Amino acid sequence: MKDPALIKTSELSKTYGHFLALRQLSLEVHQGEVFGLLGPNGSGKTTTIRLLLGLIRPSSGQAAIFGFDCWRQSLEVRRLVSYLSGELRMYGSMSGLGLLRFLSDLREGDGLDRAVAIAETVMKLNLRKRVRTYSTGMKQKLALAQAFSDPVDILILDEPTAALDPSARAAVLELVGQARREGQTVVFSGHVLSEVEAVSDRVGILRQGRLMHIEDMHTRRSLRMLLIRFPGEAPGQFPPELALTVREHKKDTCLLEHRGQLGPLLRWLGSTPVEDVAIGTEDLHSLYDRFHGPDVPDEDGELS
Amino acid sequence: MRPFGALIRKHLHDTRGTLILSGAALFALGWLFVYVTSLREGKILEALASDADDGRIGIMRNMGVEEQSVSAAIMMAFWVHPFIHLIISVWAIGRGSSAVGAEVERGTLDLILSRPVSRFSYLLSHVIIAIFGLYFLALSLAAGARLGGHFNFLRVPLSSWMLLRPALNLGALGLPIYGYTLLASALDHVRWRPTMIGSTLTLAAFIARVISLIPDLQRFAWTGYLGRITIFKLYDPVDAVTGAEKLGFHIAVLAGIATTCIVLAFVGFAHRDLPANG
Repeated sequence: MKDPALIKTSELSKTYGHFLALRQLSLEVHQGEVFGLLGPNGSGKTTTIRLLLGLIRPSSGQAAIFGFDCWRQSLEVRRLVSYLSGELRMYGSMSGLGLLRFLSDLREGDGLDRAVAIAETVMKLNLRKRVRTYSTGMKQKLALAQAFSDPVDILILDEPTAALDPSARAAVLELVGQARREGQTVVFSGHVLSEVEAVSDRVGILRQGRLMHIEDMHTRRSLRMLLIRFPGEAPGQFPPELALTVREHKKDTCLLEHRGQLGPLLRWLGSTPVEDVAIGTEDLHSLYDRFHGPDVPDEDGELS
Repeated sequence: MRPFGALIRKHLHDTRGTLILSGAALFALGWLFVYVTSLREGKILEALASDADDGRIGIMRNMGVEEQSVSAAIMMAFWVHPFIHLIISVWAIGRGSSAVGAEVERGTLDLILSRPVSRFSYLLSHVIIAIFGLYFLALSLAAGARLGGHFNFLRVPLSSWMLLRPALNLGALGLPIYGYTLLASALDHVRWRPTMIGSTLTLAAFIARVISLIPDLQRFAWTGYLGRITIFKLYDPVDAVTGAEKLGFHIAVLAGIATTCIVLAFVGFAHRDLPANG
């Protein structure tokens, strides 16, 4: 049985004048899950996050976290959620430690020791320096230290690795993994598909404010892609017990999807005359391209 | 209580430089006005008693200063100096516009309101510090005058209570200025617009007050209307140190305007969208 949905939106929409920023989003995120939100700029990721935090009011529909309405009971919601903003701004006159202490005081003083530990040991920050002397990446690290140290059930991270160097990115992905192991639920938006793919249990792809697709990454990771070149005409059908799905079929070549046991597939390959075979996995990019590729027209019929 | 205390400490930390410098300037000014009054008191009284057609004396007469006035009342003619209005107005407009508009523009409001801090307590912390600052500045002026009174001779000595009343009136003058600027700020996402609205309204009210006091224009009926619609009419330090007959009414009206604007700001802020940074 699935864990209960901690985050639930139903028909959630947000309009700014005539501009529809989010269209009827219905979504459930379960306890202990890492949910990736994908989409280009303006696709509605940040609008979704701000609606969840009660920073903006929905035009229609509802969003709830732990059963609390995200707009009407946003204070209760924010007690349970830690948020990292995508466009980070800080009080430059404070020291790193001063800012962590201030933000921790806004949460009744909880999490300061852990925030300092993450900032100093994982993120390698000098907390005595003023924030205005920090680079963008260092500010991002400071905010991440705060977000991961909050004693909350849900982390909402809006592009958390945007300004980070490769080693800090790896550290963030490790912290996300650790948060999941400790039972926290994480909503993770980003542009770097490999990162979202690496940490997410499920991924939602947004396009022009609409949720186009939700992909279960565990299922996807068990997916194999087979490119087989046959000596003559490629067969039109394959043994049903192999659970092969034809993705592309050319004259002598087939691109096949395979889920399930590898043994029967290899035995079948061994007994079938093939010229060449390549077995691999499909990364998130190809799925993403189905909704955002250059050949996909937008709602006005224009190609992106 | 801890989050609210953290907000209060932060606002105090942010404004301490402005408050200390402005307070010091007003303290010095309070002292200076006592000194100038002690030097010129005799001549001012002489001029007030004569039929001299001096513009400055005319303005003092319009403010209620007479030849029998106590020293403090004569000194109060200086308490309407534009520099005093300027400091009070700059503080009120600066704090009002920084409460929401500047924080949204700078992108730092997310940092606070994404944590378990209600919009009400956030705005309340700003209002408390702004009002504290207004009275700190007004009392700095009074403190300067009180201390100056010890070192300079005045015909009628000053008392603390005598100076406290115009200081209360001066602090109250800043309240509506803060109120309407805060209201504009609570609904906006940039700092310049609330600052412009606050400055324009305040400057218009100040000019209206100055025009209404010019003796040569007293014969026109419209100067009377101008005098009545400006909030600066409600700052009357001469009345405050003499009979204080209108002081309660003045403070009540100023506080009433401010309260209305501040309540509207709370309502507007609680129901508005907070747009993304930048």
